[in-house]
Amino acid sequence: MAIEARGLTKVFETGRRKARHRIEAVRSLDLDVAAGERVAYIGPNGAGKSTSIKILTGILHPTEGRATVLGVTPWEDRRRLARRIGTLFGQRSLLWLELTPRQSYRMLAAIYGLDRPAEQRRIAELGELLDSTDLFDQPVRNLSLGQRMRCELTACLLHEPEILFLDEPTIGLDLIAKQRFRELLVRLNEHQGTTIFLTSHDVADIEHVAKRAIVINHGEVIYDDEVAAMRRTLLGTKIVEVGLLAPIPAPTPLGVTLLEHTDTLMRLVVDTHTTPIRTVLDELLDGPAVADISVVDPPLEQVIAEIYELPAR
Amino acid sequence: MMPGRAYTVALRGAAHRSVLDGGGLVVAIGFYVVIVGTLSGLWRVAVDANGGDLGGYTAIALTWYVITSEAAIVSVNARHIEEIGTDIALGTVAVELLRPASVLGIRVATEVGRGIPRVAALWGSGALLATVLSGAPPNPATLVLAAPSLVLAITANLLAQHAVAAIAFWIRDAGSVWFLYMKAVFILGGMIIPLELLPDWLEHISMLSPFAAMAYAPARLASGHWEPVLIATQLVWIGGLAVAAHLAFRAGERRLQVVGG
Repeated sequence: MAIEARGLTKVFETGRRKARHRIEAVRSLDLDVAAGERVAYIGPNGAGKSTSIKILTGILHPTEGRATVLGVTPWEDRRRLARRIGTLFGQRSLLWLELTPRQSYRMLAAIYGLDRPAEQRRIAELGELLDSTDLFDQPVRNLSLGQRMRCELTACLLHEPEILFLDEPTIGLDLIAKQRFRELLVRLNEHQGTTIFLTSHDVADIEHVAKRAIVINHGEVIYDDEVAAMRRTLLGTKIVEVGLLAPIPAPTPLGVTLLEHTDTLMRLVVDTHTTPIRTVLDELLDGPAVADISVVDPPLEQVIAEIYELPAR
Repeated sequence: MMPGRAYTVALRGAAHRSVLDGGGLVVAIGFYVVIVGTLSGLWRVAVDANGGDLGGYTAIALTWYVITSEAAIVSVNARHIEEIGTDIALGTVAVELLRPASVLGIRVATEVGRGIPRVAALWGSGALLATVLSGAPPNPATLVLAAPSLVLAITANLLAQHAVAAIAFWIRDAGSVWFLYMKAVFILGGMIIPLELLPDWLEHISMLSPFAAMAYAPARLASGHWEPVLIATQLVWIGGLAVAAHLAFRAGERRLQVVGG
């Protein structure tokens, strides 16, 4: 098991004396992540994601519980674990801003104990993989955010980590840079077997990178399943889009909500627990005015928003 | 793989960058030349008014004292305590904890590396200025001791700054601490006034303080006094300050790990 946690709890105490109060950031968290998995670790703001990642990487001590990452207790042997994991926090740089990426890699290689040939081989490999060799000799402060993130990824992969902890790694990137970054993560996982443990508020990160989603809220796991299964198991609604040749009245069965209705288009949400989708389609198709019809799942954002409302398991 | 390679690379890399930062060096030298030119002029007047000797220092000796004490202090980032405090508050130090190396070790090695070329450039400029303004060093042989003593001085200063800056693990704003620290370096460190010229009680306190290792020791040597014991004292203080900084950072990191950033 790459990551294993049992009863992980972190309580922060704030204020002084009488005004002192406790905040339970992580509450009795159980996690099992196998080597080679691609996991999205998601939840609303303040859910405890970053706190639990800090515990799993050894930056924070838990108040209670136990955890091992690659067989190491993170907070007891932080430096030993650091040699085997890579971390990338979207809002924190691994690079020294006054240096070029290559100079930062030199420093990091020395810190991680890579000798010069290994360092050069690895930089060349990653430069090719991430298509970023031409960026390595420019000052970090001159790089765009997307370019910098590719260099950051090289920095966090330099020592060939077995697990990548990524906290909002695509924040601030443009659409193309995000897409490229996601592809890189998948490629790393597929080619090198690197376990990906990803936190993001960007649903596309989750859809394109992760195979499994663990959702936490109020410090507890509230959902844990395949990303593909999220919609299937959780959604009781479908969205029906109808192209019209002529205006028609909206269907009226219970459980149907009209989202949009013009002379040429109608969008409906159907609660399939109340009304079978077939009933709605039959009613729509019972006239000559329908030119086109499609039935789709609601966007993953909506699924995740519904999951956030679930009680703890 | 040598376990200390990370720190050597950090030191050498910072030194290299410091050399490449020609603009920064020129500004520092300009500032330094104005300061030491003014101070040595003042001391010359004071010595002349005192019959050519002030606390055992001649005008030439005091000029060499000032160019050395100022080089020791000006070459070190004066606001380092504040910057460390900011890095702790912003979580930069927390990210550094994710590397398999001592946060303190890398930081001190980097700053010492940055300081060495600067102190060399400043002291070289100061020596030229002192020779032109006052004359050759009173005892050139002591410069052989003053040169390594300058490196030890900036090392002691940086270790002390880190030991003090660790307070930022507990309090948010280390700015006020920085202000007090710099005043202590100015007075107790003998940066502006040789310690022998202070009132007796303050001289004794200063001599026993670590601040004397940061400016007074190399300046006293450069002013013509062959006193190798000053280097031994610096080494002892560096050992003590390294332990203090290590313990302070370890306690601070532990606190960060328990209460968060």
